Amino acid sequence: MSTQTHESSPVSGPGTPVLDGPPRAASLGGAWRRFLLRRGVGLVINLALLVIVTFLIVQLIPGDPATAIAGESATLAQVELVRTQLGLDQPFFVQFGTYLLGVLQLDFGTSFRYRVPALEVVMAAVPFTLAITVAAVILLLVLGLALGMAVGVATRGDRRRWLGGTFNVVTGVISSVPVYVQATAFVVIFAVLLRVLPPAYSPAYGFGIAAILPIASLTVGGMCSVARIVRRETAVILEQDYMRTARGWRLPALSLYARHMLPNLLTTALTLSGIILTALLGSALITEAVFAWPGLGGVIVQAIAIDKDYPIIRAAVFVIGLISLVITLVIDVILGLIDPRTLGEKRG
Amino acid sequence: MADTVNAVRTAAASPAGPRSFRWNAGLILGLGMLAVVALVAIFAPIVLGGQASGLGGTPNLGSTPEHPLGTDTLGRDMLARTLVATRATVLMAAIATALSSITGIAIGIAIWLAPRRIRELGLRAIEFAVSYPTMLVAIIVAAILGQGVVQVVVAIAIANVAGFARLTANLAAKIATSEYVTTARLMGVPASRVAARHVLPNMAEPTLILIAGAFSGALVEISGLSFIGLGAQTPAFDWGTLLNDGLNKIVVNPIVIVGPAVALTFTSLAALLVGDGLAAAANPRSNSTQARLVRDKAAPTIERGDAVLVADGITVAHGASGATLVSDVSFTIGRGEVLGIVGESGSGKSLTASVVAKLLGEGLSASARRLELDGVDLLGPVPPRELASKIGLIYQDPGTSLNPAMVLGRQLSEVLTLRLRHSRRASRELLLSKFRQVMLSDPEGRLRQYPHQLSGGMKQRAMIASAMSTDPVLLIADEPTTALDVTVQREVLTVLGRMNEESGTAVLFISHDLGVVRALCDRVLVMKDGKIVERIDDMAGLSAESVSHPYTKQLLAATPVVTLPTAAPTARTEGES
Repeated sequence: MSTQTHESSPVSGPGTPVLDGPPRAASLGGAWRRFLLRRGVGLVINLALLVIVTFLIVQLIPGDPATAIAGESATLAQVELVRTQLGLDQPFFVQFGTYLLGVLQLDFGTSFRYRVPALEVVMAAVPFTLAITVAAVILLLVLGLALGMAVGVATRGDRRRWLGGTFNVVTGVISSVPVYVQATAFVVIFAVLLRVLPPAYSPAYGFGIAAILPIASLTVGGMCSVARIVRRETAVILEQDYMRTARGWRLPALSLYARHMLPNLLTTALTLSGIILTALLGSALITEAVFAWPGLGGVIVQAIAIDKDYPIIRAAVFVIGLISLVITLVIDVILGLIDPRTLGEKRG
Repeated sequence: MADTVNAVRTAAASPAGPRSFRWNAGLILGLGMLAVVALVAIFAPIVLGGQASGLGGTPNLGSTPEHPLGTDTLGRDMLARTLVATRATVLMAAIATALSSITGIAIGIAIWLAPRRIRELGLRAIEFAVSYPTMLVAIIVAAILGQGVVQVVVAIAIANVAGFARLTANLAAKIATSEYVTTARLMGVPASRVAARHVLPNMAEPTLILIAGAFSGALVEISGLSFIGLGAQTPAFDWGTLLNDGLNKIVVNPIVIVGPAVALTFTSLAALLVGDGLAAAANPRSNSTQARLVRDKAAPTIERGDAVLVADGITVAHGASGATLVSDVSFTIGRGEVLGIVGESGSGKSLTASVVAKLLGEGLSASARRLELDGVDLLGPVPPRELASKIGLIYQDPGTSLNPAMVLGRQLSEVLTLRLRHSRRASRELLLSKFRQVMLSDPEGRLRQYPHQLSGGMKQRAMIASAMSTDPVLLIADEPTTALDVTVQREVLTVLGRMNEESGTAVLFISHDLGVVRALCDRVLVMKDGKIVERIDDMAGLSAESVSHPYTKQLLAATPVVTLPTAAPTARTEGES
């Protein structure tokens, strides 16, 4: 699929008519260059915005942020300590300059609670969250695609109504159960009743064993949602003119579904996967609480609800935002490889 | 989602009739469930309010006849508490959804209508916002505003705005680049009108589905925030806080989580059923039977002779309704002959062609007394390889009949490598020679291109090249020039005529345009309402006097004469589209 990126043709791309010489077919090289340049610039702008947003988390607290953070029972001295620690006694732009300089050196300040650089606390939690989230996304995409495609093909043109109906009911019910409710149910079933898996993370268990339930609870609902969407999309794609063309060529079923249908499905599935992944990061933040999983969720909820540990909140928000940005970019690059129409400027 | 639009157009063009809204079981069930939730939300606090917050009962009860879902740590009935919490939970989710959908759609449309620079900027901003997990945005808002009911609603509303804006902008962009909107814009229709007439109606369906999904999402997220202690604070309670209370007692008294867990799932499922039901209702797939092609028991009325194609008594009926769409159509095509079928849309001409091609659409059943192609009986099972090599197909709209996700070389040569077992290299060479024959500029370069990089005329010529690459005995061209502009039409017709002359392939040419047919065909059948009403054998002497049926006379009167020069001036080149 990557052959079009190193095109030798000097033609700059579709939409640019060639003025001299015999007309030549345009290559995609130009489209890729423009796409990467645009997205590179976008990434830098997004990073800048991320810095501003994390900076403003403290500034936007209604009333006096220092008083709010220190808590109602804090002494005046404690409030002033918070004020100097967060630099809130400085003029606004000095505060921002200091914050920006710090971020550029990967310094988000010292955690109020742990007395160590906030980023260290956050980075210690990142692998835990990424491990279960990435595993869940890959699993739910692969399984969801396979299931949705299989059912979509099997029920094409209203064949096997019973299968379509059963699929709809089962996946519908499962995907409506909130992830944290599912996680709780899994704990009850597998840890409390069957006693086959640990109920929560603990160094005493192997990492793999402890990760099964969190990954499963993050995967199952999403897989059902993906399968439902893929099945619907399969039905739509099967009715497209180009599928009729492929049938007109009498192509074997494998080529028909794997080569002609799948890439068009992937466009939808990958567009979705970006949304699912960010949603899943969110679900993970809550689900981790059920399993006492030492990931970003526990860190950020503790920092907000209990410690009011704003350096940690800033660092965690920055890191989660960065992860989302990188993943969105990677997904768009993969989308471009599969379906170069998405490289166009008109797409969001 | 542009595919959804295509599906709608397909549905509108299908024999099932015009697009219509159809109630279905899922939608009715979902609405019913939502109605139950709404009634509970209205009446439960009035009726059960006291029981839900009154103290003094036995704490931590399991399931008893009096308290089927047990009691909490303060002895309050969990069933009553769950039902009473419905109002707070559902109201929060509904308000958050309303706020985010209205704001998001407005932003999305504003961005799409804005000048290019602002639009780009806006899309970047949305992308930035969307890249934040909903939960993280909510947590940021909670970190800034503190915990509570209003904060959570605002948080979830803000978090979901970007999703609506992105969907709206993306849908608008996709629909805006679709061919019919491009056409409208090129015709000078103002942008606001394009938005109102073309873009918004086509967005209604996915947007409604998104709203249903967003409601269910808001419900789950708000309850999730309450679950981790960032939402409703005591003494206020919603399903999330009830679930959290229950979680602490999960080992001792697991029954208490049943109420909020089931309530959450029930309501979320209702919203999902409504969303799906709406999708199905707006986009009904009426086909209920598989396509069937059977042999008519009656004796054939046409002898085989030396014709390439013998079609005797083709009849097509709609499987579900039994309505006859084509009745008793018979014809033959000789070697090297070009037979035209003309008729208005719905006259059954394309259906006739699909029977001959053995590509009958779902939900239709067809029969014939005899259907033979080059000595092969098409009414029985035919090996796909035989069909692939004997029949070449060209379709109406080259814009949609090529796979957008595959380069031309790959998709056009697949039939050669997979069905005719040519080597990859031989297939490529063969396709290249056909590309040259149809006068495609830079044939090698075209192989590496995607369909969207070619103009309509070039795509259709590539289709012709592919159809001819198997060296078929019959080429079926179903309205091959209808989607093209007049000059391109001429080129395509000339290429078709030349292919017919050079390779001697017989052609079945379907068109609604007698002028086009007249320029190319040796003989013509005129179809109306599924029947052949006129057979014209003498094309040279065709005039209002030589035809008998009034419909043919009408067609003839409405068609200017088109003649094709014998020396084809197709060498003119074309820019990229």
